[in-house]
Amino acid sequence: MHSALVRVQNVFGFFTTVAFTVAAVIALSTFINPQFPSASVQLRNVQVVRGRPHYYSYKKEEYAHIKFDLDTDLSTLFNWNTKQVFLYLKAIYPSTRASEPASEAIIWDAIIPAASAPWHQNHYIHPNPKKSQTKSKAKPKKNDKAAKKPSEELLYKRGELHLNNQRPKYQITDISGKLQNRTDVVLELGWNVQPWVGALVWANKVDFGVWEGLKGGVSPKFSFPEIGGKKKTEDLGTEKGKEGHRLVVGEEVPIRKDRG
Amino acid sequence: MADQLLEQVRDAVEGQIDFEGQRLAELITTVLLGASGIIAFFVGFMAQDIKLALYIGLAGTAVTFVAVVPPWPFYNKNPEPWLPPHTGAVSGIQIDVDGKKVG
Repeated sequence: MHSALVRVQNVFGFFTTVAFTVAAVIALSTFINPQFPSASVQLRNVQVVRGRPHYYSYKKEEYAHIKFDLDTDLSTLFNWNTKQVFLYLKAIYPSTRASEPASEAIIWDAIIPAASAPWHQNHYIHPNPKKSQTKSKAKPKKNDKAAKKPSEELLYKRGELHLNNQRPKYQITDISGKLQNRTDVVLELGWNVQPWVGALVWANKVDFGVWEGLKGGVSPKFSFPEIGGKKKTEDLGTEKGKEGHRLVVGEEVPIRKDRG
Repeated sequence: MADQLLEQVRDAVEGQIDFEGQRLAELITTVLLGASGIIAFFVGFMAQDIKLALYIGLAGTAVTFVAVVPPWPFYNKNPEPWLPPHTGAVSGIQIDVDGKKVG
């Protein structure tokens, strides 16, 4: 410690030790935070359609389009060390050969930020069931910063989701390209808790100390129907063709008639 | 002139302190950094705010750097008494270097 340079090195060296130790203690402190997640997943509608993986493909594959209800309370996953929770819904169906493990495919996911996380465009915004489905004509201006910021008042508690008749984000297909008439399909909820410091934690069903395993989170078994067949008669909710559009003289944008 | 200036700059940059000052600097480093780490964790945990913990830890580190790195006067309160300089004939002092008499 005789010269300034040596003192700089000593102080910085001990600082790294302290920083690592504090980070380790913070990572361990999450284990004394009790958590008891619960979830309920229900199938709403499933349809299998034939399509191409991309426009110029000669191969045709079968795609499943699964709509679901999800009610979950993951608010206890958010402690002081949580940055965000990556939530996903898997469709799991057994393989055609008994020796092979079941196939899993994600049909929907969401990034749920903690309160301490800075705003990001990929963060999940819970759909508001009270708002009407039709989009309002008055779009927010691009330089309006207040419109871009997330509204501070959340619809539900942080980590609580109530999705009704939710459309999937991803249509899934099998490696064989065949998906119709497959049985014993279930939907299962999973997540990753991404902390500020420490290890990535996955969803699990077992109790660990004050951490309780996930209650529920698996839907009843169902089957993929035949192509063209529907499990329940319901509109897929996809966009209709151009018949709703009218070009009006003097108007720049086509007016869309109410889809009803 | 230039040599003198250079010498002054070198002294200021080196920032030498005495032996007692070095012991004190070591102690202050350990106590300040350790305390700021402990306070950072507990305050952050109580407030459930990890950014608060980060900023308290960084502030404590900055304070430690300011307190320890510059050669503050209280690090130089016990200067080592050196032998008096001697010129020409040595009186009573024998200095051996590799078996040869020096001075």
